[in-house]
Amino acid sequence: MPHVSFGERRFEDDVDYVVVGSGAGGAAAAVVLARAGAKVALVEAGAWREPEHYPSSAYGAMRDLMDDWGASVTLGRALWPVVQARTMGGTTVVNSAIAIRTPADLFSQWEREHGVGGDGLRERVWAAQEVLERELCVEEVPPASRGRSNELAMKGAEAMGMESHWIRRYAKGCAGTGQCLQGCRKQKKQSTNVVWVPEVLARGGLVLSCAPVTRVVLEGTRAVGVEGRFVHPATREQGASFLVRARKAVVVAASVTHSPVLLMRSGVKRRALGRFFRAHPGTGVFGVYDAPVDQNVGATQGWASTQYRERPGLKLETLSIPLELVASRFAGGGTELMKRLGQYRHVAMWCHAVRAESTGTVSPGPFGGAPVVRYTLDADDMERFREGLHLLAKMHFAAGARAVIPGVAGLPFELGQKDVDRLREGPTDPRHYIAVLTHLFGGCVMGADPDRSVVDGEGRVHGYQGLVVADASVIPTNLGVNPQHTIMALARLNAEALLARA
Amino acid sequence: MTWLVRSAMCALYPRAGDLPGLEDCDLDGFLERFHREAPLRMSLGVFLGALVFHLTPLFTVFVPLPAFLLPPPLLDRHASRIAGSGSYWVRQAIFLVKFPAGLCWGAHPDVRRRFALGAYPADPADWRTR
Repeated sequence: MPHVSFGERRFEDDVDYVVVGSGAGGAAAAVVLARAGAKVALVEAGAWREPEHYPSSAYGAMRDLMDDWGASVTLGRALWPVVQARTMGGTTVVNSAIAIRTPADLFSQWEREHGVGGDGLRERVWAAQEVLERELCVEEVPPASRGRSNELAMKGAEAMGMESHWIRRYAKGCAGTGQCLQGCRKQKKQSTNVVWVPEVLARGGLVLSCAPVTRVVLEGTRAVGVEGRFVHPATREQGASFLVRARKAVVVAASVTHSPVLLMRSGVKRRALGRFFRAHPGTGVFGVYDAPVDQNVGATQGWASTQYRERPGLKLETLSIPLELVASRFAGGGTELMKRLGQYRHVAMWCHAVRAESTGTVSPGPFGGAPVVRYTLDADDMERFREGLHLLAKMHFAAGARAVIPGVAGLPFELGQKDVDRLREGPTDPRHYIAVLTHLFGGCVMGADPDRSVVDGEGRVHGYQGLVVADASVIPTNLGVNPQHTIMALARLNAEALLARA
Repeated sequence: MTWLVRSAMCALYPRAGDLPGLEDCDLDGFLERFHREAPLRMSLGVFLGALVFHLTPLFTVFVPLPAFLLPPPLLDRHASRIAGSGSYWVRQAIFLVKFPAGLCWGAHPDVRRRFALGAYPADPADWRTR
């Protein structure tokens, strides 16, 4: 019985390692452990959907693939959505599979500020990323799949003298269907449910789906297993309970919001647990072009610039969202809104991700509910945020747009080129903007000081045995680039360190 | 109370020219599915958003009537003004209605055809059980 899904009968088993979560971190760790011959159990809260099960509509994606229907929001000055998946493969199913190597400056920053990292970690992470790039077929978005929105972005960047590139992704022969956010039904995206979870099974592992873990079982300070209760993916009814015992270790990779909360609910006591939450908040600016753009034809994300990563702290990229989401993203209501939506074929959305310095917290929700994220951008970050909008708007005009739609409350729906500087002087109150938190970090940060961190440089929870964290929650700072490549590499290294100690 | 939600959604996404409105998009079927499948707090949020929509014409078009009793031109003006309200919390409440309404409207084959997009195949709503 290598795969166990929602069930009415209690399930128990014993393995060497239990890995909680099957996303970028969990699956990367599980496959390393399984390849070394260990018996691994991969326990995933969401259902296991094959690419033929993926939804096509945005409604279906929210229902079938997103954590809490995508309805989790930050508690702070503004309610900004916190986007994570809840499905076998985690967020690797719904993101654009962007592979960017961990920038070198981060390793020295981690060493300086957190006592982990340095040149040694940099060499090991980059070596792991080289292996990942081969294994997951990283390639640049092919010309035939770029679509006009991505090509316009390159044109605008070139006209502004901006350094930029076609995005490299874990995608083998992208078909340009513009469906990254709903999962790649063409099976081009190398998400972990397609590549590594089946390998864990093939190597004798055990996979539990629809199986949210409620508690890591501790005997004193040693982690000895996990327990939870199956949940039906459609009705959300609870099924039987399960218990998977770990002979060697439990690896927690349940996401930045769920990993700290799981450890708290399990009785793990660390002062830094749930603290130092960070993110790359971002938003999009639409350009309006005379000729149709048809942004949903071509890769969802095909162009990016990291030129502004260090100063002011921004990443720029294209992001084509489905018509259903544009329908509510455009401001207004009634016939005014419908007229605005009438130009849908002529708009292209490009977005920024802010390398924000603000930090927040993650804590358990009331009555066992979803984790609560408290987070508000400070004034410096809001200035970065605003500057990013200004840059994107200028790029659109450089690419030939006749107007931009910034989506800022208090500013006109459309701005012409002569008004573009109004964005730079726009409000700094987050309530004026529609933003989303996609890249999340922290909550179980790594570091040498047990008072200021939760895990050490190899992901081991300070003061506990057999308990490792292997997801983005260990990352102690913002990256300024898409995090999946870093998460996978760190998780691999943590798994290798576990094996070396076994 | 579905009719309250339905009428708010239709006012926010009315027919305009050759563009189908939400009332042309099998909204009843969508709402039935949404209420059955979505978490209770999401359905509740949509209902509260619809209540805000219907109870605020006094502040937008200065008429002391609920929105569902407004004549069409006033209702349209109300929909525009309330969605662009200066109050963050009112905008968020209306967004709770706009978001699922947009999911229904943008996925409908007639709307997609208007924008040269292919019709979506049915979402399988299936998963691996063994």
